[in-house]
Amino acid sequence: MKVIGVHLDRCTGCKTCELYCAVERGSNGKTLLKAAQETPLPQPRLRVEGNNEFTFPLQCRHCLQAPCLNACLNAALVRDPETNLVLVREERCIACWTCTLFCPFGVIFPWPERKFALKCDRCAFMENPVCLEVCPCQALELVELEDFEKIPGQRRAEVGKTLAGKKEKGLLLLDLGE
Amino acid sequence: MECVIIGGGAAGLQAALHCRRCWPEKSVLLIEAEGDVGYCNPLLPQFMAGQVEEEKLFFWQPAEDPLLQIRKGIKIRSLDRPTQSLNLDNQEKIRYERLILAPGGQPILPLLRREDLPEGIFPVRTLATARKIRDWLLKHKEIVVLGGGLVGVKTAAYLQLAGFAVSLVEKEDHLLPQALTKPSARLVERHLQRLGIRLFLGCLLEDIQEEKGILKSAKVSGQWIPGETLLIAVGSTPNIDFLENSGLLQDKELLVSPALQTADANIFAAGDAVTISTSGGEKHKPWTWPQAVTQGKLAAENLFRSVPLPLNVLTRPNSMNLQGLSIVILGAPTPDAAIISHDRTAEGIYRELFLRGRKIVGGALVGDISGAGLLHFLMINGSEVDGDVARFLKPQSRVFYQLLPSSKRQRRRARILFPKEMLS
Repeated sequence: MKVIGVHLDRCTGCKTCELYCAVERGSNGKTLLKAAQETPLPQPRLRVEGNNEFTFPLQCRHCLQAPCLNACLNAALVRDPETNLVLVREERCIACWTCTLFCPFGVIFPWPERKFALKCDRCAFMENPVCLEVCPCQALELVELEDFEKIPGQRRAEVGKTLAGKKEKGLLLLDLGE
Repeated sequence: MECVIIGGGAAGLQAALHCRRCWPEKSVLLIEAEGDVGYCNPLLPQFMAGQVEEEKLFFWQPAEDPLLQIRKGIKIRSLDRPTQSLNLDNQEKIRYERLILAPGGQPILPLLRREDLPEGIFPVRTLATARKIRDWLLKHKEIVVLGGGLVGVKTAAYLQLAGFAVSLVEKEDHLLPQALTKPSARLVERHLQRLGIRLFLGCLLEDIQEEKGILKSAKVSGQWIPGETLLIAVGSTPNIDFLENSGLLQDKELLVSPALQTADANIFAAGDAVTISTSGGEKHKPWTWPQAVTQGKLAAENLFRSVPLPLNVLTRPNSMNLQGLSIVILGAPTPDAAIISHDRTAEGIYRELFLRGRKIVGGALVGDISGAGLLHFLMINGSEVDGDVARFLKPQSRVFYQLLPSSKRQRRRARILFPKEMLS
């Protein structure tokens, strides 16, 4: 499963991703000028969280054990068997907002004007998610979850190799870090 | 049959489907007393009001599966544990290897002690009665709804908006007494009154009057309210009469462990019929839809496990969108908890949290439900809330970063946010 990762050191909190998510995925006009004139106003599917010293764009994590899936009253939330993503079938949503209550990240948003819950579907049918394309700092990156989990394993292998190369006698204590 | 499931409600159906997924070589039989399986109960008020068609209620259609059998309209007479079999009403006997009890609840009917009830009195609970109510309402426009709980409030609101004249009767002095405190319930009351509903709070149903076999009016605390329809929504009791002599009941409650196992290791139970008894001796009755679904799945998963898994979350939060007024209930008010609130009643917003020590044990958000998911998350984790708790109460959609430990906020390198990291 592919997920969107965030380079926290690159995010400046400019909210370009929010803006273009709303325009590309929520509006009929698909341009900023047209989208801004629509009623109801298009809404983004991700939000930039944070404060003055720290920001990051947060979107649906597509949790492997997603609490929202069990909470949905009308089977509007489903896990797509092909991509493993959690998707809202908007036509089935009854706007009870139970899923927003069960999401621990708070990334399912009620959209009362359109009467359905809004969440990131990782733009699964597009080549790349729109937030990732428009980010001026390239703070967002699409990564394969399994690849990411290999990183700790590689680190361990590297450490083992270095230590084996030293061949020092006696008890070796590793630096415990911070 | 290897797995038999009693009840085709939210818990029973999910148990059956999950059973097929977890134990693909086992055969499953689902027995449902009613005629319908796989519909959405919370949509029934909209259905009765004529806003939702019947096809839209069904979220599941049976697919071709030789190992999943569904039998509808069959009632269970008794459970015979020594022979591991069920006696059906039609004299049939069904043997089981594992059993899941998900019979759900039956509505409490305060007036039914009377023998000759007039037409026009219905409980709000199942699709079968909802169909009758819908037909009945075609000719009868005045409605009295008894019970100001979640179901009653929702039914009243949808029917009023569909053009009926609705009176709502609640015996406590405010609406949703099991979930809200008085000030937050005040907002809901105001909203319903604005829709045009007549509220009778602190009132009891005392008598009814009929004309030619049809209900004419209901007497509520000395006052006669005209209405040809009386909808009863005062809650439910577990549907466990058939377990009378099975030895599974204690004080008329079907007690299960957090792993949803009954006193019999081969029998599990889920949904609105169970009382979960924890090792600490607490009893929980989380009778909500999300709980029923979670429990149904868990019961199915535990069926053939040597060590059954426990249910993690025992809270019963609820959410409702009452024609423009959003309400989130995190947990009921308890007498020993402190209450902090964010009161903007004039704007139609009232948010409150119940705290024991520094832990959130409940709360309610009315009018503005932003941040509900995070508050619920803090509550179910039993996290101690550091600093100013009131910051969570202010309506704002961007509160996630406040949950992060400060060390994680400062970190400056590429990383991916995983759910498990948030837990630590």
